[in-house]
Amino acid sequence: MARIAGVNIPTNKRVVIALQYIHGIGPRKAQEIIEKVHIPPARRVFELTDAEVLQIRETIDRDYQVEGDLRREVAMNIKRLMDLGCYRGLRHRRQLPVRGQRTHTNARTRKGKAKPIAGKKK
Amino acid sequence: MARSISKGPFVDGYLLKKADAARSSGRNEVIKIWSRRSTILPQFVGLTFGVHNGHKHIPVLVSEDMIGHKFGEFSPTRTFHGHSGDKKAKRA
Repeated sequence: MARIAGVNIPTNKRVVIALQYIHGIGPRKAQEIIEKVHIPPARRVFELTDAEVLQIRETIDRDYQVEGDLRREVAMNIKRLMDLGCYRGLRHRRQLPVRGQRTHTNARTRKGKAKPIAGKKK
Repeated sequence: MARSISKGPFVDGYLLKKADAARSSGRNEVIKIWSRRSTILPQFVGLTFGVHNGHKHIPVLVSEDMIGHKFGEFSPTRTFHGHSGDKKAKRA
């Protein structure tokens, strides 16, 4: 229905909630946008007028970095660390936790699913 | 928690002297340092430091991107070559 910031099409929800479907917009920024554009919090996306949708789109384009641009920036930052040869970069290269967490156990988010080790069971 | 800006970056004072000396003399020789905790400053760019990792001095050629990082970040202190029998152990 309403296309904002490229591909995102949130519908029947309240505007504050719907905006959070955009990568780079969470509760706080969604609230900010609502206040800037003067939309009552109870308003739902299908109740927005075209002018309001346009206003929201403009605000986001102007003031926030979202979706592709944001993803690109994050990827660039990580790439910088990797090319630099610093400790954080090495950890990124090896898909291990970067911020000093233990890896003896856990760390499954970075390491992925546990791989069975042959002959581990007694 | 990040360091207060009002204090400025932390550097061990003798590094500045060493860097100056290296710059004014014949250049491109490794400056051995043990101060892994010092911030890399703009005036260190282009010099090569041998940063101690507890075992030996790892040569680090300081580039512009490194400003603001610490010397220790570029001199790994651990050697891990993978577990035995781990066929596709990644070596970096």
